[in-house]
Amino acid sequence: MKEKPYWSPYVSGVGLGITLLLAFVFMGRGLGASGAIMRFTTAIVDLFAHDHVMANPYFAKYAENPFSNWLVYEILGVMIGGFLSGMLAGRNKWRTGRGPNISKHKRWVLAFVGGAIMGFGARLSRGCTSGLALTGGATLAVGGWVFMFAVFAAAYATAYFVRKQWI
Amino acid sequence: MAPFFKYGFFTEQTGLIIALIIGAGFGFWLERAGFGYSRKLALQFYFRDMTVLNVMFTSIVVAMLGLLFFSLFGWLDITKIYINPTYLWAQLIGGLILGVGFAVGGYCPGTSVVGAVTGHVDAYFFLGGAMFGMFVFGEMFPSLEGLYNWGYMGDVRLSDVFNLSSGVVAFAVVVLAILFFIGGQWLENKFGKEEV
Amino acid sequence: MNEIAITSGRMNQGVDPVLHAWTWEIPLYLYLGGLVAGILFFSAFFYLRHRENVFPAAIKIAPLFTPFMLAIGLLALFLDLTHKLYFWRLYTTIRWESPMSWGAWTLMIIFPLSIIWSAFWVKDVFPRWDWKIPFVEKSIDFLARYKAYFAWALIAFSAILGMYTGILLSAFNARPFWNTSILGPLFLVSGLSTGAAFILLISRSEQERHRFSQIDTFLIGTEIFLIIHLFMGFLASTSVHIHAAEMFLGGPYTAVFWTLVVGLGLLVPMFIEIMELRGVKVPVVIPAVLVLFGGLMLRFIVVDAGQSSRWLYKFMEQLIF
Repeated sequence: MKEKPYWSPYVSGVGLGITLLLAFVFMGRGLGASGAIMRFTTAIVDLFAHDHVMANPYFAKYAENPFSNWLVYEILGVMIGGFLSGMLAGRNKWRTGRGPNISKHKRWVLAFVGGAIMGFGARLSRGCTSGLALTGGATLAVGGWVFMFAVFAAAYATAYFVRKQWI
Repeated sequence: MAPFFKYGFFTEQTGLIIALIIGAGFGFWLERAGFGYSRKLALQFYFRDMTVLNVMFTSIVVAMLGLLFFSLFGWLDITKIYINPTYLWAQLIGGLILGVGFAVGGYCPGTSVVGAVTGHVDAYFFLGGAMFGMFVFGEMFPSLEGLYNWGYMGDVRLSDVFNLSSGVVAFAVVVLAILFFIGGQWLENKFGKEEV
Repeated sequence: MNEIAITSGRMNQGVDPVLHAWTWEIPLYLYLGGLVAGILFFSAFFYLRHRENVFPAAIKIAPLFTPFMLAIGLLALFLDLTHKLYFWRLYTTIRWESPMSWGAWTLMIIFPLSIIWSAFWVKDVFPRWDWKIPFVEKSIDFLARYKAYFAWALIAFSAILGMYTGILLSAFNARPFWNTSILGPLFLVSGLSTGAAFILLISRSEQERHRFSQIDTFLIGTEIFLIIHLFMGFLASTSVHIHAAEMFLGGPYTAVFWTLVVGLGLLVPMFIEIMELRGVKVPVVIPAVLVLFGGLMLRFIVVDAGQSSRWLYKFMEQLIF
């Protein structure tokens, strides 16, 4: 099945915006992602070192029952929605996103490193682009806007140094 | 009156089902825009593909105007909406760090989940790294606690800081968005848009 | 002073205030029973329609798994017993009015039936298989002449196996959430659906996968219909039943049931399978695994929720484990 092209960013943006708005209208809260990942991480660490998790005030907050948490169900939904969209467009394929000048394996290493940096930063900011920039941006929260500009500034600045990976 | 949950239209459990449905919408639109593909996201930072900017600002504008007008019409109680608390310096520095991670990793947490379910192998590595990074943060938390809480300003909104009504701020945001879109279009033409 | 000792079944922490007797063993057994029933049903059914060459996985390969699944299920059942050494007493009597007796005897019959049925096909799947003991080889060849009779027996007993698990639960009138006659057909359809999903998983033939996708889609649709009517039945019944249904309509089981069982286990795979039948390419393993997962969660949640529902003190908080 031939891959269909991506939809226009403005159309997708409107769709995303309406979804975000519905979250506000129904629940009085916005979206998020890093919180669910944090909960998942804590759950795994909890399996191996329960006392350690409980002793650490930061981890302990995330150790409660994952099945009563809004973000966990939301992320489950993201998986379903993303999969169905990719399926309908014929875009579900095993591959690695990378530029033409880098190998698959080097890209994987950089993805891990980038992920680690981002995970750290996301927890420091108490949110990521979905939870803080999108949600905070829409509610005009100062933190959200400051965060968003910081992210873009740093990403543009770093892009030069990793250009071999993408272009 | 919205937000429905805060007015007791349904229980917390039903709210979890709604979380799934809204999440499905979230994931769907992210994938439609192409955010599952790390290269497409990264090209934003080489001025070759302004999708990230366009989608983010469009969605912010739509949701922001929605909140504004619903509140204006009396359909929504804005005081019951969750405003992200501002920790100015923590979020500034965290944002800088996250930006570095974005450029290196090519994803952000939400898009990496979408990438993972559509078969992008690098998304799995990114997610693993994200979990590791979060774990490291948790481990280092006792020493980072000061930084973590630096610059707490409460639930401030832009309208409070600039002493303008939220309508004026919203207008300014819309103007900013349009400027970004036009600027982005020009940059894309200058640097060569890549069809991914 | 004379002391009077009063004992009551209610002085058992596993019974009062909420029934807490069954944990994971029973739902696991119910699930495996349904799965085996589905696999054996389809195997026997399509054999009788002479489709051996068209549906090799359904008729020949899938049944090979069933004796092992039944063994695990029976082991789980055994582990659940308090007086383990007395399990054989179930087989010293046949009580027509007891679903448990029906179940014990059906299992007693289906276990050897499934082994013999699998034995018929072993040589087709593993051409170099050698029975080693000539008596075994000869008996299998002898019995193979009556394959059709075995097939008919399998159809009957697998239908009973799939259904009786639900009827067993529905016999507990003290547990309002279980006390509904829809549970029997629901578990049967769920068992058939998981059996079809399992066959989808191991099938290598395009035609077989297509056919079982269609069958599974139809079965999932039936299951959704039955679940809706399950709740409609509760809401139209006594207030205790309404209270039981409310556990799933805003109560503690709402989220897990409607997202994991109905959403992930029924609606999403049905949508994917429908899209697949219309030409969208999806690895068939995804809807199959989702259906299998959904069936397992259905059993766990039904068993857990049933134990939370009660007639007495119906306004007490329902608990989950």
